Amino acid sequence: MKKQMNKVLRQTEFWVFLIIIFLALIIQARSGAFFANNNIVDIMRSMICPSLYAVCALLAFVSTGPDVSFPLVAALSSYLAITISIKINYDGPWFVVYLIGMFFGALMGALNGFIIVKYKFPSLIVTLGTSSLFSGILLGTFEAARMDLPATLQRFAELSLLTVKNEKTGLGSTLPMTFLILVAVYIAAYLVLNYTMVGRGVYAIGGDEISAERAGFNVKKIRFGIFVVNGMIASIAGLCYAVMSMRYLPNEYAGGEMVVIAAIILGGTRMTGGIGTLKGCILGTLLLTMVTNSLILVGISVYWQKVFIGAIIIIGTAIPAIQSIFGKNKGKKVKGGEAA
Amino acid sequence: MKKKLKIDDNIFRLIIILVVFLLIAGITKGNSFLKVSIFQTMGRQMAEYGLMAVGCGICMISGGIDLSCVYVANLCGISAALLMQKNENAILPAILLAIVIGAACGAFNGFLISYLRIPPMLATLGSYQLFQGISVVISNGSTVSGAPEKYTDFGMKTVAGIPAAFLVFVLIIIIMSVVMGKTKFGARVFLVGTNAKCATFAGIKNKSIIIKTYMISGIVSGCAGLLSLARINSAKADFGTSYTMQCILIAVLGGVNPNGGFGTIPGIAIAVLILQVLSSYLNTFPDVSNYYRDCIWGIALIGVLILNHVINKKKSDKLAKMGS
Amino acid sequence: MENILSVKGIKKSFGGVHALKGVDLTIRKGETHCLAGENGCGKSTIIKVISGFYKPDGGTIEVDGRDYPVMTPADAIKAGVQVIYQDFSIFPNLTVIENLAFNQVLANGKKFVNKKEFRKIAEEAVAKINFNVDMDALVETLPVADKQLIAISRALLDNAKLIIMDEPTTALTKKEVKRLFEIIADLKKNGITILFVSHKLDEVFEISDSITILRSGENVISCPASEMTEEKFAYYMTGRHFDNQELADNKKRTYGEEVLSVENLSAPGFEDISFKLHKGEILGVTGQLGSGRTELSLSLFGLNRPTAGRIMVEGKEAKLTDVSKAEELGIALVPEDRLTEGLFLPQSIIKNITVTRFDALAGRLGFIREDSLVEESAKWVKELGVATKNHEFPVQTLSGGNQQKVVLAKWLANNPKILILNGPTVGVDIGAKYDIHKLLHKLAADGMAIIVVSDDTAEVIATCDSAIVMHDGRITGILEKEDLTEAKLAEAAI
Repeated sequence: MKKQMNKVLRQTEFWVFLIIIFLALIIQARSGAFFANNNIVDIMRSMICPSLYAVCALLAFVSTGPDVSFPLVAALSSYLAITISIKINYDGPWFVVYLIGMFFGALMGALNGFIIVKYKFPSLIVTLGTSSLFSGILLGTFEAARMDLPATLQRFAELSLLTVKNEKTGLGSTLPMTFLILVAVYIAAYLVLNYTMVGRGVYAIGGDEISAERAGFNVKKIRFGIFVVNGMIASIAGLCYAVMSMRYLPNEYAGGEMVVIAAIILGGTRMTGGIGTLKGCILGTLLLTMVTNSLILVGISVYWQKVFIGAIIIIGTAIPAIQSIFGKNKGKKVKGGEAA
Repeated sequence: MKKKLKIDDNIFRLIIILVVFLLIAGITKGNSFLKVSIFQTMGRQMAEYGLMAVGCGICMISGGIDLSCVYVANLCGISAALLMQKNENAILPAILLAIVIGAACGAFNGFLISYLRIPPMLATLGSYQLFQGISVVISNGSTVSGAPEKYTDFGMKTVAGIPAAFLVFVLIIIIMSVVMGKTKFGARVFLVGTNAKCATFAGIKNKSIIIKTYMISGIVSGCAGLLSLARINSAKADFGTSYTMQCILIAVLGGVNPNGGFGTIPGIAIAVLILQVLSSYLNTFPDVSNYYRDCIWGIALIGVLILNHVINKKKSDKLAKMGS
Repeated sequence: MENILSVKGIKKSFGGVHALKGVDLTIRKGETHCLAGENGCGKSTIIKVISGFYKPDGGTIEVDGRDYPVMTPADAIKAGVQVIYQDFSIFPNLTVIENLAFNQVLANGKKFVNKKEFRKIAEEAVAKINFNVDMDALVETLPVADKQLIAISRALLDNAKLIIMDEPTTALTKKEVKRLFEIIADLKKNGITILFVSHKLDEVFEISDSITILRSGENVISCPASEMTEEKFAYYMTGRHFDNQELADNKKRTYGEEVLSVENLSAPGFEDISFKLHKGEILGVTGQLGSGRTELSLSLFGLNRPTAGRIMVEGKEAKLTDVSKAEELGIALVPEDRLTEGLFLPQSIIKNITVTRFDALAGRLGFIREDSLVEESAKWVKELGVATKNHEFPVQTLSGGNQQKVVLAKWLANNPKILILNGPTVGVDIGAKYDIHKLLHKLAADGMAIIVVSDDTAEVIATCDSAIVMHDGRITGILEKEDLTEAKLAEAAI
């Protein structure tokens, strides 16, 4: 029992959870509106895309290193899916549009994966490069502009899972169907990561690549696969974003990667690889979403939003560092002892 | 000892690439490309992101990365502009203020990385949000303009036909080349970037080196912000966000090892020239969208990585053979 | 008795470098066979050939009476050959269960995770060597010895017939080594053959039935352990004769005045340590892994801040808050881990040697002339006999012994009064080890005060005038000159 307790206390996720509760209570106390039904639904809605991106970031960090290309993979693949659907006047089930997007996402991910696996370059630099490439293709070659969604996606966008109305303020909020997609992706990711050998391989590679190879994991295939899957998840997120905005907005994608990475690091993902959970992704994303969504509730100007996000990232990442400094001094061994 | 003047292979390659590009541009688009005004524009534009690339580059040499350059530049530009808005004659104080702010931002990054041991990528990721946030707050989220004419004149000034901004860039490049190549500080930055633990054991004060490195990056970025303010007479919190990536690209193109410990300032400078020539050349095709530049840069980054990889492999194979 | 393994005439080259020039290795069933040789002799290459990771250019491999024209890693495992690498091939970020079960599950071609099956496999594995461990713990939280036991028990799962252990005692304490040897003895009783790769004399003699020694990719000798002596062993490994008498004679030294006095010093890792060091004295600090010897050396170099007590250098109290303070006072430390603490591996020999001289060689504004660096480095390369063709080469192209000489040069260049060496000859060939010991005697004769921190008692006896023995962070014995013997060291260590 005590051992279990200790284990929970050592998890970063637990502390993030506490901070979230604490923050929620503060916001509630200051504004009285945090636990209002419309605010909760708003937060859930705002979390959909970042949480999907978070899975990409998690898979990449755990196994290889940072992937920063997912926003542009999302932008380009959803552009292609939407344009093709419009061009061929497609009007079948909505998910076929998603499948088209995933196909292109997979191709782009495969490019990332191929370069990273073949040449062993740092994934940050490679994905920066491919981001630039995808952005050039999207805005240069295709000259992508705002456009309306194909009819089938339009209908999908108008469906809602849940609509709430705050009795006091009269403000309403709806939870779109894309929330179910998020849930489905997380369940699938959870099952694969925890109950298949490939999923365990993702962690094994991140722990020790050479050991993984000796144990019999196909390191190259798994790593390549991760980037392909990342491409597919990114394209799902990209289409969800378009669906939720009711139109395709090519310029709204780029730049989201850093906050997502910050979220998963806050959620306990280790920058050096091997450690990180889906639970952490959700909690980290929730924390950052709460901050961005709730500033107005607390009466702080939106101008301060970035300052707060920056401060949270810095404080959040400094805590484990500070902990480890103190932890080391308390323990009997110092630096040199570990070298052996 | 043998040769006084050594040009390392990478710089040699870069110079060849530059010359080839210039030739192609000159031959295919001689009329519209080989014009004084084009070169003057090039000189002004590249000074700004070129400086940020130098800042980011030295941080990469020290084993880290600085993702905050652009936002430091914006913050410095906005601060200087606000001060000059209030007082027409405060040009010099405004410049000093910008440089001090740049240094302070850099020192803050260095502090996060060296004392709090936050990985550089994350530290500057967080601090860029913070700097951008501060810029938004002090500028109320809008564009700040209205710097005095005396100041903005500098942006258009030329000395013997060469834009003053470009001269500032060259001056800073020379200073930085000397600092990194000829001083004990520079030598230590390379060693800290190679192996920080070993550097500690060799008596190098890592924390101070890291803080100074990021401070230099901050100051250089601050200069970039000042130049940009002079050129377009406005500053904004989210100006030039795509430069962040471009800076990393230039540094890698210029031969900086993303893992730290290797790279040269002249290499970065030539990489800046190459990119500017390429992008100005593309501008001479009115049909070609500006966005194609992104495309080409992405391909160039990965292409250069692969090229360096192949060349280094050959070199190390050769060394292994000689060693045995 | 029949042979479990017989390889003949194995050749292997990498890009024109001949790593193996026709090596034979025959191991009888059920014996513990030692494979010895200096760094770069081809030990690790032959292991990789036997375990199927390298395809040899020539020669035959026979395992348990069967010929393998082509040996793949999977073949090797099927044939019962298991390698326990120095890094143990573990996943620090995963649980003990997963570390134990992965190989088996993957070998069976399973695609899904069955947690019950995982646990069953893991429990079966640890049962084989009666190993008690928290199954759900993350491996990174376990001590080194446990990590090794995980690797051993995992190897046994695959019906191992031949277990190859690559330098298995490097990171273990004496106690842990003893436990490992007990386990090896147990395995032997169960008919499992062990190929023990090591260069530590005492261990080789204690554990092995027969010995094969390689030198630069060729067989030197194969014989029963009983026919081997210490002198022969050193000779076969290096091809050189060593005059240990010379080293022993050097010890008749007289000390100068006191340069360092440590008084009741405590810091994280050790408590209440006092000793004195004189000019021209070589003091040994010995103790097991975790005894606080490394922490003490770090404290004397400004890397582990003391919590109580004081350090006096030449009669004045020294506040050693960081390395540069220690440097100013003329203290130098050759660190324990050469590769991560001692060298900038991809940088040139010049930069590695001159790093401590930047301040001295720089002008008033901090400018350094390249020439002065090159001269300084050339001087030390010559002085210490570093074998290299070009000083611009990265230091990683050098052999272990030459690398250690570069580390020494780096500190000697600073002309220290007190030189502390932590594990000065770990991973260094016997030849280079001898050279380094000789150099220490010379430096002491010239008046340098030296502290040798080492767990290698033979080294302490061979080089030191006196020694302090540490255990669990405290001094448990101080041995002066003639008291400094193997027996008394062992006695004090408990």
